[in-house]
Amino acid sequence: MDYARFVALRRPLWESFERDATAARKQRDLSYAAVEDLALRYRQVLHDHAWARVRFPGTGAAQLLLRLAVLGGTVLQREDEERFSIVRFFFVRFPAAVRASVPWIGVATALFLVTGLLGWAVAVYEPGVAVAILGPERVDALHRGHLWTESLTTTVPPSMSSSFIATNNMSVALTAWAGGALAGLGSLWVAMFNGFLLGAVFGVTARYSMAGELGEFVVAHGMLELTLILVCAGAGLGIGVALLRAGDLPRSIAVPRAAREGLVVLLGCLPWFLLLGLVEGFLSPSPHLAVLWKALLGLALEVCFLTPIALGWLRQSPSTPLEVSP
Amino acid sequence: MTTDDFSPELGTVLSLDNVPVELPLARVGSRVLAGVVDYFLLFLVVLLWSVGMITLSSGLGLRPGWGIGFWILGAFAIEYGYFAAQEIVTDGRTLGKRVFGLRVVARDGAAAGNGALLVRNLVRSIDLLFGVPLMALDPLARRLGDRLAGTLVVHQRKAHEELVVARLPTGWGAAETQLVESYLRRARELEPEARLALGRRLERFVDERAPGFLPGAPGPDPLPRLWNGFREGQP
Repeated sequence: MDYARFVALRRPLWESFERDATAARKQRDLSYAAVEDLALRYRQVLHDHAWARVRFPGTGAAQLLLRLAVLGGTVLQREDEERFSIVRFFFVRFPAAVRASVPWIGVATALFLVTGLLGWAVAVYEPGVAVAILGPERVDALHRGHLWTESLTTTVPPSMSSSFIATNNMSVALTAWAGGALAGLGSLWVAMFNGFLLGAVFGVTARYSMAGELGEFVVAHGMLELTLILVCAGAGLGIGVALLRAGDLPRSIAVPRAAREGLVVLLGCLPWFLLLGLVEGFLSPSPHLAVLWKALLGLALEVCFLTPIALGWLRQSPSTPLEVSP
Repeated sequence: MTTDDFSPELGTVLSLDNVPVELPLARVGSRVLAGVVDYFLLFLVVLLWSVGMITLSSGLGLRPGWGIGFWILGAFAIEYGYFAAQEIVTDGRTLGKRVFGLRVVARDGAAAGNGALLVRNLVRSIDLLFGVPLMALDPLARRLGDRLAGTLVVHQRKAHEELVVARLPTGWGAAETQLVESYLRRARELEPEARLALGRRLERFVDERAPGFLPGAPGPDPLPRLWNGFREGQP
């Protein structure tokens, strides 16, 4: 068959396929019959594309058919794109993604705790570490029985420190997450570095018998803040693992899939940092709020964050029967 | 005579059904240049935001702490959102990419999804360190963000997919078809001298290879004769 006859015979099919596939692309709920019909014509387009690619490479028909083949693949093989709903995202999608990352969150948490203990021990038994970590002015303040956190309410307005704290914590979480792109090493580094730093800071304050005061400062926001950073680091680790060990899937599919799941975790965590910024800027340094209330607030925040995640486990049946499609 | 006036390096990837798709990949040079333009524009946007916040704070009589607080949050959102927001809204193109005719697409050549565009831009901070050497070494010129998101950056090329040929001499193959299609498609955009010169060469080529295929005799402008011959008289 020559080119002109090929085009004349098949052109109506290509035009109708392009029209229907473009319309289907914008449509969410396609009927089974519509998908079946489109899939049949897609196969014809693929056949024509293969023919044109071999017999008439570089011609207008070959280029048109290539675009139609890509369009058809995109429409028919797209992954389930549900209508975005904030409620569904925070109560279904995000908790499920966190649950899937639990093994990696566990690894990040374990490393955080180990390096935290190490930091604490180093700071307690090596006095020079205090100056290296906190700087001489803050150590002087500890000598005089004052925590550096007291200045948060006197030197900087809480509204400003809230924003600064929130964006700083979000940067840490983003680094922990994006560090997964370095085969997970960046995520591990954030977990371990923050663990060491926190352990060392508590160790230093313990040397000056002020660990209790520091604990009072962090009790309202610290628990959830660390949870969020470790969850993001765990999601980053999941991406790093997919890079290193793609499993049965090609790496070009496994890695983007892991990154999309990781993205859900990250996006679900970020709003909490804004809330925590307000807590840390306004409530944590406040001398007017009793420690008990701060502790209860910290506990409540943690429970609010973890409840949708935990509920998903409770809802899961012990064994899911295999579904056989007709 | 070639059919393409612009032939950047092509990279072949496989679409979802293993259809080989040849994409004009954007290499490290054009991508770095687009990045430089974008980071300059990002700086300007942050500057505008700063001026706007100062004006707004003084206009509304906000306490300094609140003004700076909002400025910090806005600057953070601009820093992380500038690239992703533009790519999501304008189908894979930032202003810098527009300047250099680049576009982000999915690895199979289709339009990139919103999630993929977010992912590739959220690892930008790490790519500022490792991106350039990775792009230079990778056959598909991908940085870390592209690998994670499953995306590629390509040169935007006008698709030559218009079906302008309705009849051909018997036995003509792809090369001759491309030649005719290319001329008929571009004839009206060419300079008059170039259009006449190329048209006469093509007319002579057709008359030699397929005598009697083109209707009538050669005239001062070969385009109507070629057009009628290959389009069966369609205007």
